[in-house]
Amino acid sequence: MSRALAAAALAALGAVTTVTTLGACAGDLDPPWQLDHDRIIAVRATPPGIVAGQTSTIDALLGQKGGKTSVFAPELATIVSPMSLADVLTFDGGAWVVTAPSDARLEAARAELELAAGAPVPLQVGVSYANRTLIATKTITLGQAAQNPALVHVMLDGQPAGTSELVVGKLVQVPLSVEADDAVYDVTWLTSCGTMHDFDLPVAYLQVEAEDPDAGELAVVVRDAKAGVAWSVWPIHAE
Amino acid sequence: MLFRYLTIFAALVAGAGGAAAQSPAPELPPAADPPALPHDLPIVSVTGRVIDALGRPVAGASVGVEGGTETVKTDRDGKFQISVTMGSTLVVEREGLDPALANVSATKLDDVVMLKAGTNAETIEISGEAPAAAPGAAVLDRTELQRIPGTGNDIVRALTAMPGVVNLQIPLGYSGVVIRGSSPQDSKVLIDDFEVPVLFHNIGFRALVPAEAIQSLDYIPGGFDVQYGRASSGIVALETRAGSDQRTTQGEVSLIDGGVLAQGRIGARTKYMLGFRRSTIDLVLPSLIPASADLSLTTVPSYYDGQLRIDHALSAKWRLYLSSLGTNDVFELYATKDEDAKTKRFYSNTRFVRLTLGAQYHEGPWSAKLALSGLAQQFVFEAGVYQRIDVQLQAMTPRAEITRTAGSWAGLSNVVWRVGAEASIGHSTVDSALPLEQREGEPMPAYDPKDTSTRFHGSFWVPDFAGWTALTANLDPQIRATVGVRSDVFARIGEVALEPRGELQIKLPAQLTARLSAGAYRRPPEFQSENLSTDAGSEHSAQAIAGLQYEPREGIRVQTSGYYTDRSHLLTHNMDGSLNNNGHGTTIGAELLATYRGGPWFTWLSYSYSHSTRVDAPGAERRLFSFDQPHSLNAAVSWKRGRWQLGGRFQLYSGLPITPPTGAVFDSDRNLYIPLYGKVNTERAPMHHQLDVRIDYSWKWGPTDLTVFLDVQNVYMNDSVVTYFYSYDYTQRQAFKSLPIIPSIGLRGVL
Repeated sequence: MSRALAAAALAALGAVTTVTTLGACAGDLDPPWQLDHDRIIAVRATPPGIVAGQTSTIDALLGQKGGKTSVFAPELATIVSPMSLADVLTFDGGAWVVTAPSDARLEAARAELELAAGAPVPLQVGVSYANRTLIATKTITLGQAAQNPALVHVMLDGQPAGTSELVVGKLVQVPLSVEADDAVYDVTWLTSCGTMHDFDLPVAYLQVEAEDPDAGELAVVVRDAKAGVAWSVWPIHAE
Repeated sequence: MLFRYLTIFAALVAGAGGAAAQSPAPELPPAADPPALPHDLPIVSVTGRVIDALGRPVAGASVGVEGGTETVKTDRDGKFQISVTMGSTLVVEREGLDPALANVSATKLDDVVMLKAGTNAETIEISGEAPAAAPGAAVLDRTELQRIPGTGNDIVRALTAMPGVVNLQIPLGYSGVVIRGSSPQDSKVLIDDFEVPVLFHNIGFRALVPAEAIQSLDYIPGGFDVQYGRASSGIVALETRAGSDQRTTQGEVSLIDGGVLAQGRIGARTKYMLGFRRSTIDLVLPSLIPASADLSLTTVPSYYDGQLRIDHALSAKWRLYLSSLGTNDVFELYATKDEDAKTKRFYSNTRFVRLTLGAQYHEGPWSAKLALSGLAQQFVFEAGVYQRIDVQLQAMTPRAEITRTAGSWAGLSNVVWRVGAEASIGHSTVDSALPLEQREGEPMPAYDPKDTSTRFHGSFWVPDFAGWTALTANLDPQIRATVGVRSDVFARIGEVALEPRGELQIKLPAQLTARLSAGAYRRPPEFQSENLSTDAGSEHSAQAIAGLQYEPREGIRVQTSGYYTDRSHLLTHNMDGSLNNNGHGTTIGAELLATYRGGPWFTWLSYSYSHSTRVDAPGAERRLFSFDQPHSLNAAVSWKRGRWQLGGRFQLYSGLPITPPTGAVFDSDRNLYIPLYGKVNTERAPMHHQLDVRIDYSWKWGPTDLTVFLDVQNVYMNDSVVTYFYSYDYTQRQAFKSLPIIPSIGLRGVL
């Protein structure tokens, strides 16, 4: 008893300490903010929540080692859960589309997932790219409408973000910000030019070191709690 | 004769710092009426043996005729030979043990049993020569602890030299001791007979109690006595140090911490020891963090700990002691320079105080140990804005054990019978929102700062009760047996356990002693989040140990042991995160410990072989235990002469198993990668070896004895792999290597 729960979080603390310690040593690993890496950065359903008869289209923002980020439709997609709704996902005109089924079928899906009557049904979709080497899951809410969030008041180096290339100085801190409560929204800043600091906070900064590439991209991704996602990508040049 | 009685009285009242008083000590007779010496009886050569309550030979005990001045010493086997008159009374004395009497009724006497007198003056009660409490067990005293290089005078690090203890360059994520292929929570760490919540501080991995405040360390890796319970593997029992006869104050400071310890006597019957320590690493840590790091140490990690012990000899029959220790560890950091970013905040505060009041009684063949111990503890941990735990625990533990000795009973000789009981009544208040706890064998999950799948808010009682009895006696002069049974009642889960245990010691020719031990053990589900529900039962183990001890001459001991542990009802997770008792496993191993103490030399050689496996569910594939360490070798030598003490220690041990990830699936909504793992524990970190050295230099500065020490770990900078860590998407991995060199320099002064 005496070393009961207290030790629980101590272990968690140990894990955090370890993660912090190890993280500090992870110099040879690509950091999570690195765009210059083959990866799925975010999967988007437009819209992320639909009611009976409505459709939602799936795509994703992909990062490529040595290349530019791009938005692609999945090479393959499949329903992961609930299996009774496996047929609501179709490939139509080069895009993967989910069509919300009837309320009766949603009720059956709720029974399968042991959800309360009338509760939104999370439809989990698996997607893959690069010959199934990149795999992700995405949730689309059925029975409840939802929209992707909007990027609000994005500031890059003290200026409102536009669409043109961002030019920054080397060895200086370049402030970046987006209006979002970090207790509600998940914010991720990514770059392939420079070193990102506080990459997972609404207010971050970028510093291009002498040995960093002079050009690349800067991106921000904002997620909300209802599987909504928004992103923006800018070319960046350091001089 | 009066002088002899006065000596005994002085030993009882003045010398003993007030602890166990169990042996048949003599009554103080009226001074005016001393018993007459049997002058008319013939002088004969008498042989005998002196043992302790567990049948272990007591070496170095003084044996003399009551009232006489001539004495002889017992040898390493506890044996003695003395010429006395038939019918006289022998008085047997040894520091740390209560005096014992024996009537000379034959030329070959029955074994004389000396019982523990608890703490006694400045001397380490159980010296390195004392036999172990169980096959494979070992004892380390303070002076030896300070001679093992690479330990930095720390109990936790010294434990790694013990056979059977898993060794690791850096303790990653566990707060206990891994003994004989068992999880840390399967073993108990006791200080003055009562459990402490944690073993070491959050930073620096320093033991809660400094070595200077420790009297002795008993390491019992298995086969422990019925007085110990609620553990299924081993026991580490620390005893705090009673005050010395002379008032002294000493201080020690190193790069990790510094402290003072004062001890002495108050009046004729009371001794005290008071210690306080504070971390110093927090004073230098901020300067070690590079300015470019995204880190703000708003509260620099620091710790305090304190120890208090007061021993009072109330009378010749009663001794009292008060023991207390407490700690306070705290830190707060932001994994960013932005101190308003609550999602990046980590805060931890661990503090507890344990207070134990004990009384020890002895009269004739009866003795008793009574104690009441209270614990107040709080643990607060907060990670970001979602995850937190706040645990407040109060526990009260009354404990009593009565011992009765008899020279013979029912055809047995040197009989020691014990009966005891304990109640541990704890009350916890928990406010928790944390991820599901990772259990042994489960690969590391993805770190999700928003995961609060284990939530609890409320209070509950955890009442545990235990009773035990044991009988130790000689079946014949060469065989001594102990049989006992312990019953535990784990009231929160409504479980009653019966745990029979026994040991057989057989004296063999050529200074060999064989020891066989077997027993049943239980660990209740009270560790970490286990007691949030009452669905799961206790974990079981059955241990069988065979040991052989060889002592060719004074100062040399070689002990080997082989063991087999069967574990059942092990706690594992169901798919929904709840607990079941579907796991089982086995551990088989062998250990060797050889020590030499002679002149300026102290040497230590230990080797352990262990193979520990688990099966997590019926029909599941058998896998390696996560802390399985097949080979572990420790070889240490220390030389001391004059002002100098030099030492070296070589370590060689296997790396721990690793479960490699085979890929990961990106959860786009939670923005994290869910790792996919291959078979559990199918890789292993490479073997590690290192050399540690230690140099001490002592001198006198005015009235102060000063010692400066340099303790350097891994002097040839072998940076072998401890484990691997992975990139965020598990596509890359990098070896986490041991720190190349860890120097520790310190200064100790005794005034």
